[in-house]
Amino acid sequence: MSKAGLPQTLNFTPTEFLAVVNQTLEYAYSSVTIVGEVASFKVNQGKWVFFDIKDEESSVSCFMTLYQLRMPLEDGMKVVVRGVPKVTKWGKFSFTVTAVKPVGEGSLKKAYELLKKKLADEGLFDLTKKRKIPEDLTKIGVISSTAAAGYADFIKILNARWGGLKIQVAHTQVQGMDAPDQIIRALKYFNERGNVQAIVILRGGGSADDLACFNDEILVREIASSRIPVITGIGHEVDESLADLAADIRASTPSNAAEILTSDREDVKRSVARMASDLFSVITSKIDVLKKTNVDIILQISDVIKMKIIDIKGVLSERIKVLDALNPERILKQGYAVLNGKISPGNVVKITTYEREIKAEIKEIYERK
Amino acid sequence: MSENKSLNQKFEELEKAKEWFYSDEFELDKAVEKYKSAIALAKELQKDLDDLKNEIEILDEDFTK
Repeated sequence: MSKAGLPQTLNFTPTEFLAVVNQTLEYAYSSVTIVGEVASFKVNQGKWVFFDIKDEESSVSCFMTLYQLRMPLEDGMKVVVRGVPKVTKWGKFSFTVTAVKPVGEGSLKKAYELLKKKLADEGLFDLTKKRKIPEDLTKIGVISSTAAAGYADFIKILNARWGGLKIQVAHTQVQGMDAPDQIIRALKYFNERGNVQAIVILRGGGSADDLACFNDEILVREIASSRIPVITGIGHEVDESLADLAADIRASTPSNAAEILTSDREDVKRSVARMASDLFSVITSKIDVLKKTNVDIILQISDVIKMKIIDIKGVLSERIKVLDALNPERILKQGYAVLNGKISPGNVVKITTYEREIKAEIKEIYERK
Repeated sequence: MSENKSLNQKFEELEKAKEWFYSDEFELDKAVEKYKSAIALAKELQKDLDDLKNEIEILDEDFTK
């Protein structure tokens, strides 16, 4: 109060006054969020974004840079904006927006579709750009909230399936307006300083609003441009985010990401056991082959001997036939006789036929005609 | 037998042993010895697989700023 009892008057220049007002506003409302509907949305000079956020009765003018606009906006979309109230140097009240995101199913879907089309047209989701996870994977970078159920599922499945992996975990928020920037910083960290062969971004299931941070334009671009292959395991099978589309591999869940990244040690153990058992089969089959070879050789020798015997039998048979033809008995049997003794009249000679021996006296000898 | 070898080296060794059994170099006289070594290696591999543990490091880096 003044000495006269009147309120003390503060004297300012316009610049001083606005500075004090803005300081007061900033002190009183350092960070405010407003939920409302977008109206009069426009972008000036490709850099400055202006729109009103309104409800049935009131409207607040908003201002932000295009860089801070991480999702497409349109009139009629329901959004939540975060920022600070300010009075401009022209004396106009404005809400300086630091972050904006759609809320409600309709607005989220609309923003998603608009950004999806824009990024797809730029080729950000081209399948030809997708890279494979290295086969000799031993070092993995994980981006997730270490308190999230999805992260716990991932680690549990990973440990059960395989071992010997070095896993670096970047703890970040995985929902809310700050999540995209934190995930981007973690991506940059792994790309610039982390010694990992693959980066996994994880988040368990949630509402469309919870998962909306994975449709942030700058985050999606960061994933697409990552030097290290990125695999996403966000939400459930039915949840498709733009981060999923930009990633090299999209796992349907965090658990599925662990399955994609690792072999199952039980499968490998079974395969080793099968390999060992195959060796035994090989030995027994080789022994069987050797046995069969021996039997074959014996059979071949036996066949040769048989053929030789048949040949010899043939020769013998022919010779027997010849000998048989010369057999005197055979000649006698044909009716011939053998005469033994001196052939002169009055002599007694022996005549041998097939059946008899005859003594006979020679009566007369004369020449055959 | 092969304590200092990595899991991959042991896999390769087992694979080579297997190839010998299927190759023309196979000799029945040597097969039993080779088979015994391969089985020992397979058992060692299975134990190694059971013993494998992952190293998890939570980075100190503050990603909120």
